Amino acid sequence: MNPTSPTNVPTTRSTDPTVSTLAARQAALVAALVADAPPPPGFAPEPLAATRAALLRKRAGEVARYWPLLATSLGPWWLEVFQHWAAGRPPAGALREGWELARYLHGADELSPLGADELACWQAGYHYPEPGHPPRPRRLPSWGRVGGAVAIQFAGRVRLLRPARRQP
Amino acid sequence: MTGPVGVGIGWRPEIAGFVAGLPGLRFVEVIAESVPTAGPLPAGLTALRERGVAVVPHGVRLSLGGAEPVAPARVAHLAAVAELTNAALVSEHIAFVRAGGLEAGHLLPLPRSREAVAAVCANVTRAQAELPVPIALEPIAALFDWPDDELDEAAFLTEILDRTDAHLLLDIANVYANARNRGTDPLGLLDRLPLERVAYAHVAGGAERDGFYHDTHTSPISRPVLDLVGELCARHRPPALLLERDGNYPPAAALRAELDALAAVGGLPVVT
Repeated sequence: MNPTSPTNVPTTRSTDPTVSTLAARQAALVAALVADAPPPPGFAPEPLAATRAALLRKRAGEVARYWPLLATSLGPWWLEVFQHWAAGRPPAGALREGWELARYLHGADELSPLGADELACWQAGYHYPEPGHPPRPRRLPSWGRVGGAVAIQFAGRVRLLRPARRQP
Repeated sequence: MTGPVGVGIGWRPEIAGFVAGLPGLRFVEVIAESVPTAGPLPAGLTALRERGVAVVPHGVRLSLGGAEPVAPARVAHLAAVAELTNAALVSEHIAFVRAGGLEAGHLLPLPRSREAVAAVCANVTRAQAELPVPIALEPIAALFDWPDDELDEAAFLTEILDRTDAHLLLDIANVYANARNRGTDPLGLLDRLPLERVAYAHVAGGAERDGFYHDTHTSPISRPVLDLVGELCARHRPPALLLERDGNYPPAAALRAELDALAAVGGLPVVT
């Protein structure tokens, strides 16, 4: 399901059912909810599955706030596409997740023209985001290019020079 | 403590214009992590402060319920936002949001065990040592419970509040959601919580999905939740009620009607 392995895999993920410290049990629970680890012993599966799904919906909403064109261009399929991509992939911040999803879709030749425009603009204006850090604007003039879309940034202003080719 | 009073609303950039136009508003809450401390406050918040509207910074990512010590930088940020907004109170959750190097992306429940009580109390004490103002703790809504709870919810929360001397931020929508999903009586919990410690109460709308009630903050407040606010006020009226809305924003008239409904059920002045 994941084309690349997540960059922030847990260092102390515990799957040992005999562990009993709070830290290990919390780590096992989070891993089960966001990283496809097996559910910790004793938890009812249905509420955990509902929680997992709710987390993905919440993430999809947060990503759509940073990537409105990407999300809108997928229309009714947005949630499904995001959930398919994000399942088992730990949260890395909404901007970065949208960035990675757009790249992934581009690699699979499935990125919409609007999504390509948006990715080009983010690339021109901002550094690739680090997990847990706010977006970091580029200081020097820079450009972004995704498929046919070309965006430039100068003095902090981003301009889409050429939009991606729309499907006829 | 001169905490929040009256009917308030969660300040979000999307509804900043609406909030700015509420003539009787006396307090708002702001997500602490969304406020940069390097520069000035967002303009909308500054304008509210100049009008004398109180701001309560509301943390969502401290992970006070984590087994690890709370990150000093996160506490420092919350403290800085409290200073920037000249706040009289801050709030956070009885929950954890990360563990083992992974972010959950949401508030997760603690086991209701003595070990968890000790962990959350240790973190609240660490935070209190650095915060310039008192903290109110909010119990969360969760779809699941841990398999080996030693305490029921009222005993768990009361123990934490007693040991930390923190205030209670009671989310009535969470009380409703948990009771509905567990099949328990929400009034039973209200009857056993130390309601005199409530600094303010959250109220929000949610939605039923896949057999669970989700506290989404993206729907209007439902009648049963409003009725539960009434039950709370009948037992011990909190000084303030706050409407939380986090998306799917309705027209201004609908939001005003929700604020008016809160004022009516809480016997508080109308702010619209």
